[in-house]
Amino acid sequence: MIDAPESTDPLLAPDKAAAAFKAWLRRLVTDTAELEAFDAGEIDAVMDRNSVSALLLPEAQTALHDSNRIVFSALDALPGEVCVVDTMGIVVMTNKAWRVSGAAHARAGLDVRAGENIFDACLDAPESERAHANAVGIGLRKILTGMQKSLRFRYVCPSPRGRSVFTLTMAAISAQGPVNTLLTREWHSEHEQTKARGIATVARAGVENRLLAALPAKDYAQLASGLESVTLTHGEVIYEPGEPMREVYFPNNCLVSLLTLVEDHRALEVGLVGREGMIGARLALGAAKSSVRALVQGTGTAMKMNAKRFLREFRRSPALQRVLLQFTDRLMVQISQTAACNHFHLVEARLARSLLMTAERMRSAEFHLTHEFLAVMLGVRRVGVTMAASALQRRGFIRYRRGNITILDQQGLETACCPCYRHLQVMNAEAR
Amino acid sequence: MASKRMKKGVAKEAVTTVVVMRLYIAGRAPNSVKAIANLEAICRQHLKDAFKLEIVDVCEHPQRALDDGVLVTPSLAKLSPTPSANLIGNLSDTSSVLAALGVAQMAPAR
Repeated sequence: MIDAPESTDPLLAPDKAAAAFKAWLRRLVTDTAELEAFDAGEIDAVMDRNSVSALLLPEAQTALHDSNRIVFSALDALPGEVCVVDTMGIVVMTNKAWRVSGAAHARAGLDVRAGENIFDACLDAPESERAHANAVGIGLRKILTGMQKSLRFRYVCPSPRGRSVFTLTMAAISAQGPVNTLLTREWHSEHEQTKARGIATVARAGVENRLLAALPAKDYAQLASGLESVTLTHGEVIYEPGEPMREVYFPNNCLVSLLTLVEDHRALEVGLVGREGMIGARLALGAAKSSVRALVQGTGTAMKMNAKRFLREFRRSPALQRVLLQFTDRLMVQISQTAACNHFHLVEARLARSLLMTAERMRSAEFHLTHEFLAVMLGVRRVGVTMAASALQRRGFIRYRRGNITILDQQGLETACCPCYRHLQVMNAEAR
Repeated sequence: MASKRMKKGVAKEAVTTVVVMRLYIAGRAPNSVKAIANLEAICRQHLKDAFKLEIVDVCEHPQRALDDGVLVTPSLAKLSPTPSANLIGNLSDTSSVLAALGVAQMAPAR
């Protein structure tokens, strides 16, 4: 057998070596017709019986190299990030997008380079991304052993701006023989991340109602399209007793009194609903008409919803059912406690309780309540309210001027009020 | 490149003999690409559907080429009908290809 020239790689060797290699190849060819074709330049390869391989002529090698170069430059031109690893996990190539983004992300998230081993990178991954790296390593082995054709991973890694997330896709490159794997990396922008993380928070902007906030994001999203933000002003009547409840309201920062009417003109406050509850919960219990007068006591916004839509959502969402049952239970406790309180406790103590409950629901130490209103709330005459308010003011707990109330000493006011306030607070805390 | 088998059904016309060929090529090397294009053009024009062509990539399957006694590529082997024939090169000379395939006498189909 004729020995091959020293340099048999014409890509690395100068033209002379290529010519020598070609001359050497020609000597392997013996048949006349083959020689003719060889000299005519119509031959691409000569078989080597010793190495059982096809030896490509320099021209064919150059052409193949050029076509590879086209493939490589096409990959570089791709906007997507591409990396190819061989059966041993060694990176055969990466495209430009992969390298650029790797540098941009401070080489976080298995940013391997050509020649490096991706399994080593998985083992050397920092503690913060170890779990993801391990999963990738296991997945890659599944692909290389033919157990899986393709896999997708969500990979989270630290970045200079907090954390970065990308989707890593692995796919076996189908060819006979050893399996190579194509990896693609798709980073999720900061915007997408916040969107994915906080759909609920974004959608709930401006919704302070605790019932709505307690719903899982999915249930809230269902409900949200039927909600409309409205402003309820002091003195507005939402429901009258015996009238159908056409809408329900989830107060944000307004306050609504539930009043029971006696003899059609004398009213008594039996309940107070703010951001912790809703107006119209009775609908959910099967009633169509209101039993009380719902009177707006503190101006603010609320989320309004059509009663039919509300009932439909109520039937559909177990989470909404649970939240509303809990609220109804708290409201019943409040109403029964208020009933007993109105009967047994002094006006001054009841006024103190009423002011504290209002402040709590309005989330403000200052609010507007007229004498008439307070008289209705407490079920007493105006004179009674004036006397009680003056007493609290003298003790320095509140300031009361033309219906504008400021709580000056919250703790002092708590000592002045009846035990019902503390009792209701404890009940609410337990229910939460 | 994987070896691919192109099977075509026998045409209902006068041509009843199916020409079976095997073409050995080396990947996407220039002469190999030309050989495939030339042979397919000739087959389409002169053999209509009465042929079977198998393409063997010697870069992928060197042992097959050696077993079949093929030393250089591109190389075309006509396996049937007898007599068998071999043709070396990029098959740009149509008349010699037709002669090797034994279809030179046939009137070219339009």
